[in-house]
Amino acid sequence: MKTIVVLSGKGGVGKSSIIASLALILKENSKIVVADCDVDGPNLALVLGIKKFNETKGIEAIEKAVLVEKKCNSCKKCLDNCVFSAISWNNEKNKPLFDNMRCEGCGTCEIVCPENAIFLKKVENAKVRIAEKPFPIFSGQLKVGESGSGKVVFNIKQMAGKKAKEIGADYLLVDSAAGVGCPVIASVSGMDFAVIITEPSPSAFNDFKRATTIVKHFNIPFGVIVNKWDLNKDFTKKMEKYFQENDIQVLEKIPYDKKFVDALVNLIPIVEYDKKYRKVFEEIIIQINKEVKNESDKISQK
Amino acid sequence: MKIAITGGKGGTGKSTIATALAVELTKKNKVLLVDVDVDCPNDHIILNIDRKKVKDVMQLIPKWDLDKCVQCGTCSQVCKTNSIAQIRDKYPIFIPEQCSGCKACILSCPTKAISETKKEIGKIYFGSKHGIDLVSGELKLNEPISEFVVDAVKEYVNNLEKKYDYILYDTSVGTHCDVISALNECELAIAVTEPTPLGVHDLELILKLLKILNVPGKIVLNRCNIGNEKLIQNLAEKHKVEIIAEILYKKEFLERYTKALPIEDESIRKIAERIK
Repeated sequence: MKTIVVLSGKGGVGKSSIIASLALILKENSKIVVADCDVDGPNLALVLGIKKFNETKGIEAIEKAVLVEKKCNSCKKCLDNCVFSAISWNNEKNKPLFDNMRCEGCGTCEIVCPENAIFLKKVENAKVRIAEKPFPIFSGQLKVGESGSGKVVFNIKQMAGKKAKEIGADYLLVDSAAGVGCPVIASVSGMDFAVIITEPSPSAFNDFKRATTIVKHFNIPFGVIVNKWDLNKDFTKKMEKYFQENDIQVLEKIPYDKKFVDALVNLIPIVEYDKKYRKVFEEIIIQINKEVKNESDKISQK
Repeated sequence: MKIAITGGKGGTGKSTIATALAVELTKKNKVLLVDVDVDCPNDHIILNIDRKKVKDVMQLIPKWDLDKCVQCGTCSQVCKTNSIAQIRDKYPIFIPEQCSGCKACILSCPTKAISETKKEIGKIYFGSKHGIDLVSGELKLNEPISEFVVDAVKEYVNNLEKKYDYILYDTSVGTHCDVISALNECELAIAVTEPTPLGVHDLELILKLLKILNVPGKIVLNRCNIGNEKLIQNLAEKHKVEIIAEILYKKEFLERYTKALPIEDESIRKIAERIK
């Protein structure tokens, strides 16, 4: 099985649109499982036009501190030692007040409390929705205002990975969040190949470079897709020079086409909305397979 | 007045509008733009501002005195971020990238073999151009906790706050901890969205979050002519949040964006009017 993560650094460059079409084309000749790990704003199922989920499960990926008021002797040790500013002091009651939104569940307050008045409780911080069609897809959704997105991503990848093994999938596709922080690191970790999507703007290029650092940190081979490449041809040229100098494989250049927006508005993946795009995505898959094979050859030579 | 520019979905035009609004407001006011999209800060690129580093953002991490360590394994057991690994009869192995600095290991070590040290997790930059001051936070690559850098930026800005009429916080995408940290600082949040099903989906998450945080919100509908405006109007009605401006999709904006130039438009003046 090949595991592939799609990321971009910058948001809104077309990650979900591209991965949806990529998945549909891949599915025609192989078995796939897809995990939407953009748990802040999971959109992949929406782009695929999935309306019905077979199952919804809660995920308890974090713990929160809970106070047993009777036991508390008001020593303030918990307050003094919380580095996340999750504890304030309720002067009226002379007891600590826990801010669930800032609590990371590190357990430091539990350790320092001399009266065993604090314990950690598992909390449901996310949900995962599972659909079987058009292929098994796991869509994570962090509860609004909850923390621990990295841990949620880890859980969803685990579930999707298990399913992929069960059905003997050829590919596991992971849709990562934007940015380069905790949920992205969790999405990228342990994957075989990364597809980084960018567009010809200084902002997107800057974020692309930041994203490559994360991928390189995990020693994961990667290729780039330049979306809307013809919006600024000069800038694309500049980017291509950079790709060449840094030995980065360009998997595909996709032109700007209003049809992508129309497809999105109608919730139909672009390869179904306009069949001429099938070829583009078939080519991307050929390129990815070539890259993944090259890498495994390199490893076996070593 | 502190205002957040946010929106949930990526690429809806947060930074474009934050920078354009800063340019507009600067005509009559003293404005500080704060880029708290610390994962991928881009406001300095759009405004072509040369940033100078003003501060390193540091985070506490543990340090072991191996002479005192008895290899008991307590530190690795209490660590919730799996930053400490220990094999029996060996010294603990520390993975600093995963550490959140909670001190649980330090406080629970029975022989006091662990003490505090620091690691750098990001930087704060400052720059100025066309009368706009910019503070920009940047997470060090491969560090996971964006929220800490946002917290440090907020602290830095609070010392300058009196000098400005408007402080604009340009947040990152999504709704997680670093966005929450920025929103908590503001008196008003402008949610930038687009009339696509994805825009609607992520806007609803942000509106729910604003309600939980008790921060009043207003909507700016970007690229209002590309999809179905009704989708956003219905959502705005449902959550009783006002749409204060609509910005047309123009190829000219896109071209300016790809050339890293701030946009100028009647709609931006409208936003400036409506947030007073």
